[in-house]
Amino acid sequence: MLLVLRCLVTVLHGALMFALAPLLLGVVTKIRARLLGRRGAPVVQPYRDLWKLIHKIPLIPETATELYKIWPFVSFAAVAVVALLVPGFTLGLATAGQSDLVTIIGLLALSRAAVMLAGLETGFGFGGAGAAREALFGIFSEAAALGVVLILVLIAGDPTVDGIAAFFRFGQVGISVSLGFALAAILAVALTETGRIPVDNPAGHLELGMVHEAMLLEYSGRYLALFNYTAGLRLMIWFSLIGTVFFPYRMAQAGDITGWPLGLAAWLVKLGGFAVALALFEVSTAKMRIFRVPEFLGVAILLGLLAAIFLFVAGRLGG
Amino acid sequence: MVGLPGQGMHLGIDPLSALFLCLLAPQVLAAAIAMERKSVTFWMFVLGMVLALLAADAFALILGFELMSAASWLLVLRGDRQPGDRRPATLYAGTALFSAACLIPAVFLPAGSVAFGLLLLGAGAKAGLAPLHSWLPRAHPAPSAAVSAVMSGGMVKVALYVIIRYGFVVFAAIQPWWGVALMLAGAASVLIGSLGAMLEVELKTVLAWSTVEHVGLIAVGLGIALHARALDDPVLASVALQAALLGALAHGVFKPLLFLGAGAVKQATGTTSLDGLGGLMRGMPRLGMLMLLGAAGMAALPLGPGFAAEFLLLHAVIAAAGAGAVIAWIGFTALAAVLGLSAGLALAAAVRMIGIGFLGRPRTLRAAAAEEAGRLNLIAMAVLAVCCVPLALTPGWVLRAIQPAILLLVPDALPQPLAYAPLQLAILMVLLAAAAFFGLRRWGARGEREALSWNGGFGKPPVWLPFGDPVTQPSATGFAEPVRRVLGVPLLGRMPMDPGETYILAPLSRMHLRLTRLAEWLRRATIRQRLAFVFAALVIFLLALGLGQNA
Repeated sequence: MLLVLRCLVTVLHGALMFALAPLLLGVVTKIRARLLGRRGAPVVQPYRDLWKLIHKIPLIPETATELYKIWPFVSFAAVAVVALLVPGFTLGLATAGQSDLVTIIGLLALSRAAVMLAGLETGFGFGGAGAAREALFGIFSEAAALGVVLILVLIAGDPTVDGIAAFFRFGQVGISVSLGFALAAILAVALTETGRIPVDNPAGHLELGMVHEAMLLEYSGRYLALFNYTAGLRLMIWFSLIGTVFFPYRMAQAGDITGWPLGLAAWLVKLGGFAVALALFEVSTAKMRIFRVPEFLGVAILLGLLAAIFLFVAGRLGG
Repeated sequence: MVGLPGQGMHLGIDPLSALFLCLLAPQVLAAAIAMERKSVTFWMFVLGMVLALLAADAFALILGFELMSAASWLLVLRGDRQPGDRRPATLYAGTALFSAACLIPAVFLPAGSVAFGLLLLGAGAKAGLAPLHSWLPRAHPAPSAAVSAVMSGGMVKVALYVIIRYGFVVFAAIQPWWGVALMLAGAASVLIGSLGAMLEVELKTVLAWSTVEHVGLIAVGLGIALHARALDDPVLASVALQAALLGALAHGVFKPLLFLGAGAVKQATGTTSLDGLGGLMRGMPRLGMLMLLGAAGMAALPLGPGFAAEFLLLHAVIAAAGAGAVIAWIGFTALAAVLGLSAGLALAAAVRMIGIGFLGRPRTLRAAAAEEAGRLNLIAMAVLAVCCVPLALTPGWVLRAIQPAILLLVPDALPQPLAYAPLQLAILMVLLAAAAFFGLRRWGARGEREALSWNGGFGKPPVWLPFGDPVTQPSATGFAEPVRRVLGVPLLGRMPMDPGETYILAPLSRMHLRLTRLAEWLRRATIRQRLAFVFAALVIFLLALGLGQNA
């Protein structure tokens, strides 16, 4: 019975993640437009864009190799697996045992590698520049992410997202300084990985300043649709991951079907809250220069180290 | 056992040496298939490695180790760099002599910290551990690709085997600082190796730098295991050993694969500089796919052959941080950050290798005209690719197979099941990708059209530049430029200089010059100066004698 429920909730969770990812992008864009005093496109605009793109016949650049059509699928599949691993509204998904944070970081890196290779595919300047910048950001964001992983695993004593969330949901964890530092560090990593302001501007159309978009300039039609969809899914994953680990309030258990609606409502509220926060942050800051980003992420790495030190001191004082 | 002349040679095999023999077998087979099967020197090299692994006494071990060094020196000397350039071979011979000078006393001295220190210097220099790594990126690319493959994949592992054999088995009283020293050297190698792989343009040198990084990763694992064993923590020791041995196995498969591929690229295009390649995936599709597999291993991407080891290593670091005091806590957190940095750098280097060399447009006519690699070369690489499959998809089984070796090193080890199941993830990924593919086919527009690439708005290239102007393409140097600015300049200086070279090789070379000048001056001394030396020596001797008697 429990197994059936776990499989059922996994399917439900996956379906919601995949279905709501473009909506999330639309909501963030809408709130941003409202904050800037514009009316903005309707929140379903990303769905319309995807629909339009998949109905266009893709143009394949003549200098592309056979792998040109493979990269969007690799990038999508790696992120889609992560979407099934990161819990949203319930704990105890059928994939919980695999949701190790190191695996998740690795799969996101795999997706990033596929996008970078797509940027280098036709050998044009902007794609290469975008890939080089993405590579630079990846170096620092992986270091910062691993620092945070170390702290979370040490606090919770479990390497899986599911275990960590369960520990924070049901264990006696007060508000600690090191968790605050870890949250700040992971937010910096999330902004980098999802390509939002201040690291990258998803609405920017100036080639010289683009990172993620620059790598996709030679893509069109359904392949571009897949890349854009993957970007939305990535935002969804980071929101869910931060919400699950740092704010696991009202998360349901897979075995307790009566708790699901409340968990679902809490998840949607969390996603909405993050969308508002992201939009507020984006309208209140400007995009950084490319070479400021390593400093920004360097601060995240140092916050991770500081969090580890505070954690140790707290452990010694408390025990 | 020490082993003396007159007693005969003792050979033996136990799980540890069997594991390393298994590591050696595929790459030797592949190298033999690809090109080196008729070279006597190559087989002497292999014989030396096998002898070092099978040795059951110190004498046989040293004999095998030195046979391996000498034969590989000949192979480096015979290498395919410019015929007049003997510098890699000379540097290599110097390192081999230094390593022998440290290793021979180490194995015959009584067990203890001095012996381990010498062992670490000797075998570490041979393995390419920082700060004694500078020879490796110069000497490994010099010989033919098959020899480079076995040197990078096999020889450095034999050196690590010597460290494992003596550190864990022969020297019984393990001190905690041994592991710390190994970890520090490993962390330094990881950082410098991954940065070097990112900044270098020559394909084979990129691979050699990446070898420095992977040796560092293995050394970090061994260091954690040694430290944990000294502190009596069998669980942590076994996880760290699993990481180190699995990492050694994986590196022993994908690195020879990449080196053989680099050799084929050199044969097809006449160059291995990434700035002169490009678009090889079109002319050499099979080779390109095999290189892609190797690159996934080099970057330690999930579902590739290298990820399971990296996964275990990170968990070992996290567990070690939780077990130690405050210094260890901070140190291991920093180590996790260093491993993250180097993982990102390795990913960037692998993407650069594939993206610049194999994707995009050709940068030279030779790259445009490249034809598929020879059949034997492809077969050799396919052998190694097949060996990658269990490491990539069923690392749990591989770990179960190497369990006896871990039990030999840590007798009370508790085997932990691997929490990373790539087979399930791979199935899930394939299903999701297939769903996306068929969904797009069902609801999207069919068909596609080939078009001139947009190429940033550049017009159609002139007829005499069929692939567009190469300078409008991103180059390997340009791809590395952001990393050079952010990490390379602070760590290596404005002119990228390897610290191992600046602080170790250059002072040694200066000292050598000074000593040579002194000796030359002594040789040219006149008869009066010589008599003065003798007289001064006599006076000093008498003074010393007199002072000694008075005291």
